[in-house]
Amino acid sequence: MVTKLVIVDYGMGNLHSVLGALRYLEVESELSGDPKTVAQADALLLPGVGSFYQAMETLETSGQADALREAVLGRGRKILGICLGQQLMAEHGDEDGGHAGLGFLPGSVTRLSGSGGLKVPHVGFNTVRFEPQSRLFAGFSTPVDCYFVHSYRLEPEDRPGLVGLCDYGGNFVAAYEHENVFATQFHPEKSQTNGLRLLSNFLAV
Amino acid sequence: MLKKRIIFTLLFDNHQFMLSRNFRLQKVGNLSWLQRNYNFASVAFFIDELIVLDVSRNARDPDAFCAALEKISAGCFAPIAAGGGVTSVEYARRLLRAGADKVVLNSALVDDPALVRGIARDFGQQCVVGSLDVRKNDAQDGYDFYIRNGTRKVELPAAEALSWHRDGTVGEIYLNSIDRDGTGQGYDFGTLDLLGADWQLPVILAGGVGNAKHFAEGLAHPRVDAVATAHLFNFVGNGLQKARQALLDGDAELANWDPVGAVDLRRHLGPAA
Repeated sequence: MVTKLVIVDYGMGNLHSVLGALRYLEVESELSGDPKTVAQADALLLPGVGSFYQAMETLETSGQADALREAVLGRGRKILGICLGQQLMAEHGDEDGGHAGLGFLPGSVTRLSGSGGLKVPHVGFNTVRFEPQSRLFAGFSTPVDCYFVHSYRLEPEDRPGLVGLCDYGGNFVAAYEHENVFATQFHPEKSQTNGLRLLSNFLAV
Repeated sequence: MLKKRIIFTLLFDNHQFMLSRNFRLQKVGNLSWLQRNYNFASVAFFIDELIVLDVSRNARDPDAFCAALEKISAGCFAPIAAGGGVTSVEYARRLLRAGADKVVLNSALVDDPALVRGIARDFGQQCVVGSLDVRKNDAQDGYDFYIRNGTRKVELPAAEALSWHRDGTVGEIYLNSIDRDGTGQGYDFGTLDLLGADWQLPVILAGGVGNAKHFAEGLAHPRVDAVATAHLFNFVGNGLQKARQALLDGDAELANWDPVGAVDLRRHLGPAA
């Protein structure tokens, strides 16, 4: 069976970097914003850089949000949300006055505190501590350095699915996986071979 | 912990990549030359970030630059900053579409602050790298800032030339010594004093790296977040790989990954899905 991997194109962010990483891994994928294509995908990537509010407005008005719900909640297809993509899959985001998210994973997205004089946005490679049973981090034995660029983050409440934590003025959710829903706050497509391996782990699930 | 970075800067002038010494350019070769003789695809796995600058001395060819950027970014899985001749938000968008994650702005910092604001508004502060070139003057410990490929001195006091540093439009600064550029004599840390004690943004220091020891000195400096070099030939063969490993074996706060693992990943996946 040919797996149809769709990168959701909703007009925001570094879609081509994600596409480049998949090409390097010799994986075929399709860039699409068409709700029908999204709904019928076998696997989905939801990348993104930008504003939570703006992205959710676009996803809802274009019909892409419903298509994502059908694929992920209705048909149980696997999805990987990257950076803003992870945040959009949460229940709620505070950015720009607040907006409901897709609700694929529990929790809210709030602004990094910047406590202790830390700079916001949080930009650069930082260390992710992961749960040993994580499927995304299969093959890694020590904490993994990954590339982050963000001002908002998912708060780390005690819940299943929290597989990766990063500390930047306090812990936040660096990686999430539960059943068919996967997400990273960092950019695997910009995290050198650490990220390429993680992407290939997601594809192999 | 947030890591420090080693950055490689590629200089592009009219379809060719260049070596620079005190801002005088010397042709090295085009992209295929870079790939063939320098194995750039492999080098890209040993850096934390890549900067690609269009330093064309004559009329710039944005199509050629964007085409080169697109090819380079297809094989580089680290953040990429691109710049040189950015005079509109549209061109910044084009660079981002061609694979850049950030845009490097130099002359606009002084000549066109509205453009800097516009790019920050559309793509975020983290997307803007402010770049200033620095040259010593005759005064004791004195320096001047330069823009336009080092050809125009900024006739402003340092604090005014850097007035953007707290207005939320610029994410980090690329500080390049014209005096040390391409000389291999090591960084000029005196340039950091221009930033003042209240400086908040990450600092990329450039100009003068000749060997791994110079990287180590830069990375150990408390005010330096990233060290950059544009000198291809100081790290020929697996020079950059060896330099990075030596720094990791020392106490440099660098990110870790398995650089050779990339080749295995395709096998790990099996046939294309």
